[in-house]
Amino acid sequence: MTRADFMGRLRRGLVGMPTAAAADIASDYETHFEDGAAAGRSEAEVAAALGDPDRLARELRAEAGAQRWHQEKNPSAAAAAVFAVLGLGAIDLLILLPIFMSVVGVLFGFFMAAIGLFIGGGVVMIGGPLAGFPGGVMTAILGGLGLMAGATALGALTAVATILLVNATVWYARLHYRLLKPALEPQAQVQGGLT
Amino acid sequence: MPETIEIQLKKGVLTLCVLALLNRHDSYAYEIASILSGAIDMGEGTIYPLMRRMQSDGQVETYMVESTSGPSRKYYRLTDGGRAALKAQTAEWRAFARAVESVLDGAVPAAAPAVKNADKGAEL
Repeated sequence: MTRADFMGRLRRGLVGMPTAAAADIASDYETHFEDGAAAGRSEAEVAAALGDPDRLARELRAEAGAQRWHQEKNPSAAAAAVFAVLGLGAIDLLILLPIFMSVVGVLFGFFMAAIGLFIGGGVVMIGGPLAGFPGGVMTAILGGLGLMAGATALGALTAVATILLVNATVWYARLHYRLLKPALEPQAQVQGGLT
Repeated sequence: MPETIEIQLKKGVLTLCVLALLNRHDSYAYEIASILSGAIDMGEGTIYPLMRRMQSDGQVETYMVESTSGPSRKYYRLTDGGRAALKAQTAEWRAFARAVESVLDGAVPAAAPAVKNADKGAEL
């Protein structure tokens, strides 16, 4: 494999990452080729010693995804981290996906319930006094406020559970990837080593 | 499957080796990869995901050094967190290695808790 082949495959593997981060990674490997050339090694030698660019790209993406999730807890970072670690192949999809999907479904249901409850509470609070809510105006307003507070609490708890779930997924995948993957692909590792 | 065990062991101690190298002097990725690929047979490319992980875990930090020839070079140095990790992992490795040695030598397997500890450390 030539330097251009290696860099091409690596760059293709990094598509979808933030441009600055991908460029930073690419420049690391470019420097490696330059250092190798300075040490009198051929492009093919350096490429062989570096290992499989597709596998490296997957590992780098997963690392970047996990890091971003660590820094910003938002839905898109969560999705990116989960998909990146799934890309590692460390999680047995066939076994874990049904469990994962049902947990995600339950969390989604809780979010929807929280939103519905919040809107319902708003309707009771605003509409109740006008529509002659049983128990009087104050009951309607306080009841509506109570429902909305409950909905907010439910939403917050669901968000905490979601964050914990994503954390656990990322942790599990990184751990198992590091421990299991070399064993599954010993050939690539052995060939990748410089002798 | 002796190869498998060997590779798992190497991958597990890679972080420790990098920490130890950087504790001696600051270095750049190519140098680290050359030393480690010679000493423990690893793919040189794995050094970059590893350095990124160690950076996000707060064990190493980078700085640029101007070079007289060519572009400036990215150096890595240990943070306080990295030095703490080195100390902890070195102790775990020594305990683990001692336990394995004693089992291989046929001594009493009295060091079972130490093995458990070291095992946990390698996963971190």
